[in-house]
Amino acid sequence: MSNAQTSVPPPTRTATTRNLGLIAILGSVVLALLGLFFTAEDVVQGSSVRIMYVHVPTAWVAYLAFVFTAVCSAGYLRGKKHSLNLDRLAGASAEVGVIFMGLTLVTGSLWGRLSWGTYWDWDPRLTTTVFLFVTYVGYLAVRGLGGTQQQRAKRSAIVALFAVIEIPLVHFSVLLWRSLHQEATVLRPNGDVRMDGLMLFSLVFGVAVFTVIFAWLVLHRNRVLALVDAVEMRGIDAALAARHAEGVPT
Amino acid sequence: MDLSPREPGVGAAPPVRSSTARRRWVSIGILAAVIVAGGVVVTQFLSSAIDYYCNVDEVGERDGCEADRRLRVQGTVEQGSIKQAAGTTTFLISFNAKNLDVRYDGDPGGIFQECIPVVAHGRLVNDVFLSDRIEVKHSNTYVAKNEDRMDEAEAAADACSRVG
Repeated sequence: MSNAQTSVPPPTRTATTRNLGLIAILGSVVLALLGLFFTAEDVVQGSSVRIMYVHVPTAWVAYLAFVFTAVCSAGYLRGKKHSLNLDRLAGASAEVGVIFMGLTLVTGSLWGRLSWGTYWDWDPRLTTTVFLFVTYVGYLAVRGLGGTQQQRAKRSAIVALFAVIEIPLVHFSVLLWRSLHQEATVLRPNGDVRMDGLMLFSLVFGVAVFTVIFAWLVLHRNRVLALVDAVEMRGIDAALAARHAEGVPT
Repeated sequence: MDLSPREPGVGAAPPVRSSTARRRWVSIGILAAVIVAGGVVVTQFLSSAIDYYCNVDEVGERDGCEADRRLRVQGTVEQGSIKQAAGTTTFLISFNAKNLDVRYDGDPGGIFQECIPVVAHGRLVNDVFLSDRIEVKHSNTYVAKNEDRMDEAEAAADACSRVG
């Protein structure tokens, strides 16, 4: 039983991760200032539009996380070494994605109460989004079903490759079906962005900040998962050593 | 080879398997909950989300928009049609040149206003749509309020052209 792939990864206390953390903190402060004080109210929605500077970036990060999970999973399945580090990156990314998808649902619900007049309704965008959320909670559960680390990696990689197909369904749900949710404002097929200057800047800035937060969280969570794997392997090695010491044939 | 955990004091191996087994059962429980939740979501998708509303001009015309059933009707609130009296709000919604009178017990609140598209939940009784829930559809256009230095009438006109 080899534990070559579960060796402890380099520490996250590197200049890069420290800088990422610093950028994330400073960026969050600037975003809060932009969103709460410097950007104007919307003509129709008033101050409730400020939720957008959190809601849209959390949705973006959730999409990004799930796509990254799929890319790492594909890399794991295609690679000759079947790198467990790729599997752990996939798992770490999915965990962060689930948290951000949850935040998307919460912030969207609050925004919905202020603009639509309801916290929740089963419209196409909301329904497909909650389905995506439930799917990735399921993905995380599949990762914990036991077996060897390679078995975990293989089955969760397959699930990840199927689950990621839902993202276009969620994104285009407002076009495919009649939805209470508005259509895209920035990523429009004709490139016509329907948002005023500073509002648009703040939104794009928010997306950038949340992407940095995502990277920082995944780096740290990946290391924790590697440590968990290493502890598990160490326990198994210790159990093997104990049996050998007792003279039990292998 | 049996690697099950030792009783305390019998062997030296740490209790790796017991925590792994506990984690597995938690995961199985979560997975079962996920499957149930997924079923509920898919059911809601097929029964509600896939055909969320009927437009005003489809009431009584389109399959699924029969006038004698509970409906969700979408249309734009006509300018100058909102009247509030005795705790009731009445207004006219339109879509594709067809109009529908709506009566709602209460104040829709929020960003409800003229020229904005709404989805009214309720039933059609004697050509009046008795609604118990109004949802406002805001557009995907965002305009900063402080950039509009226009008088109230111009602002209203702008809102109509934007959200209608």
